[in-house]
Amino acid sequence: MKMVLSQRQKEELNKAIADYLSSNGYTTALEGLKRDADISGEVEKKYGGLLEKKWTSVIRLQKKVMELESKLSEAEKEFIEGAPTRAKRSPTEWIPRGPEKFCLSGHRAPVTKVIFHPVFGLIVSASEDASIRVWDYETGEYERSLKGHTDSIQDIAFDHTGKILVSCSADMSIKIWDFTQGYQCIKTMHGHDHNVSGVAFMPNGDFIVSASRDKTIKIWEVATGYCVKTFSGHREWVRQVKVSPDGSYIASCSNDHTVRVWVAATKECKVELRDHEHVVECIAWANESANSAINEAAGGDNKKGAFEGPFLVSGSRDKTLRVWDVSSGLCLFTLIGHDNWVRGVVFHPGGKYIISASDDKTLRVWDIRNKRNMKTLDAHSHFCTSLDFHRTQPYVITGSVDKTIKVWECR
Amino acid sequence: MSNPCVIPTMVQDTLGDGRWMSQHKRNLAEGLEREPEVVLIGDSIIHCLMLRSIWHDLFEPLHCLNFGIEFDETQHVLWRINDGILDHVKPKVVVVHVGTYNTSNTPDQISAGILEIANAIRSKLPETNIVICSILPRGQHDNPLRKLYAETNKEICSKVANFPKLEYIDISKELVQPDGTISHHDMLDYLRPTNAGYHKCFEPVHELLIQLLSEHEVERDLTPSE
Repeated sequence: MKMVLSQRQKEELNKAIADYLSSNGYTTALEGLKRDADISGEVEKKYGGLLEKKWTSVIRLQKKVMELESKLSEAEKEFIEGAPTRAKRSPTEWIPRGPEKFCLSGHRAPVTKVIFHPVFGLIVSASEDASIRVWDYETGEYERSLKGHTDSIQDIAFDHTGKILVSCSADMSIKIWDFTQGYQCIKTMHGHDHNVSGVAFMPNGDFIVSASRDKTIKIWEVATGYCVKTFSGHREWVRQVKVSPDGSYIASCSNDHTVRVWVAATKECKVELRDHEHVVECIAWANESANSAINEAAGGDNKKGAFEGPFLVSGSRDKTLRVWDVSSGLCLFTLIGHDNWVRGVVFHPGGKYIISASDDKTLRVWDIRNKRNMKTLDAHSHFCTSLDFHRTQPYVITGSVDKTIKVWECR
Repeated sequence: MSNPCVIPTMVQDTLGDGRWMSQHKRNLAEGLEREPEVVLIGDSIIHCLMLRSIWHDLFEPLHCLNFGIEFDETQHVLWRINDGILDHVKPKVVVVHVGTYNTSNTPDQISAGILEIANAIRSKLPETNIVICSILPRGQHDNPLRKLYAETNKEICSKVANFPKLEYIDISKELVQPDGTISHHDMLDYLRPTNAGYHKCFEPVHELLIQLLSEHEVERDLTPSE
């Protein structure tokens, strides 16, 4: 596009350049410019820093315009097509929509993790205030708190029955809590040499996997509380661990910019996935229902070269999400859109979408098939650290550094 | 004669409340726990930044840690760096504002102190970008301290000219009004900026940080569609 300036604009530009030259001490160029452009005397103060200002603000405004355009197109789409009513919503299509149903406050420090109870209508939150809180997501009521850790709690997880909860903390311990009655801590496990940042149950609930800043992953027997295996290989802090749905693999992500997949039975590292350019904060295994959407997005010829999976998604401080095929060790595609660190990621139970939470304070829904950011919710007033999607009910929850937890209804 | 500005010095706890050491120890602990992309270090000008809403709006999203302590002089910042305040962090940028309280020193001494701070940061963090802010002017009207800072700023500018991966930034351009006064809207006590004052002085720093932090990212096409 050819730009034309009016005489007046040209004069202003010349003076702005003159100011730039003089404030940087480029005196010969300044003299030359003044002679060629016929500028006499001193350049007025209003031109001070004008060129730099325009130089930076153009980029900022372009970015703002892009954001507003995508927001507008989203709003237009929603206006024309309309979000389905509660009666018409379907479990494979529903996605979280604003405004939030509840905003739960009570934690005295940033919320680090939020999860749904697998059976009851409860959510559990963990915080840097060293407490775990239990809430009813249908009424928005606070139920109780679990106290015992002495430092920031980093992660929590339920077994498949929802009868026991595991938590891990910067106090280097892992705790098991009874969720049937009493809500007491029934076991405390020590063994990691540093902050424990991730925990998960094996599918049968007999073993717990943990990840630590001490660079290792450990497996613990629930019945005895003994550490039965240690996985070494990551070169730095291991942030999260997730067990594949059939229990055969353990995926971990680390400050060393990689994701690793381990064979649970043998401690062998099956594959190391590298492509992220910064710390990998979070990972999630795809449910089988997502296989066709992922293959289509990967552009593989579905007949002959379909990727087998299992598939993983990872979120990183490099602001991207990446989807991986574990069998081939390939990064299939990248989702770009977040403006800051990606902190939490889950697959939609229906398999068509990926949902992510980020330090850009948003919750985003990604349409897997088209590799597109289809919805953005301004979720919190500070970093959005964690999210969970209910497996059967139309609810999503988010936690934030703003100390609140929000419940979002899906339609 | 030796220059007091370059000799790492602990602040003497003359009042006996131990506040300086408490803040330093908390900063050390934060360094162990947190993973900042940007560390700001220096005196009241840095410290008070986190008390204003600009901190939440512009700086927290960049993952910043604030290691500013009120009344610190160059030699005190040097002591804190030597004592390990940067030993466990790997920020991409360190921002420095110090010198306001070196009121009994000469421009040559203060600027040497700031250069020494840059050297100390460089030896702890060889890959990190360093941003040195000009010392903010103080006092409603022109006064000897403003002259001291102006001369010091000139010297800093020439001393760090060829320092690799270091940016010197003049942050006081919009603070002094055409009649030479500083408005109470910008500095209520004519020393530490208000939120409005911080916007004038530290928005350019924010802009520079955004550029330094995204240096290695692929540039996105931001041309608006027409």
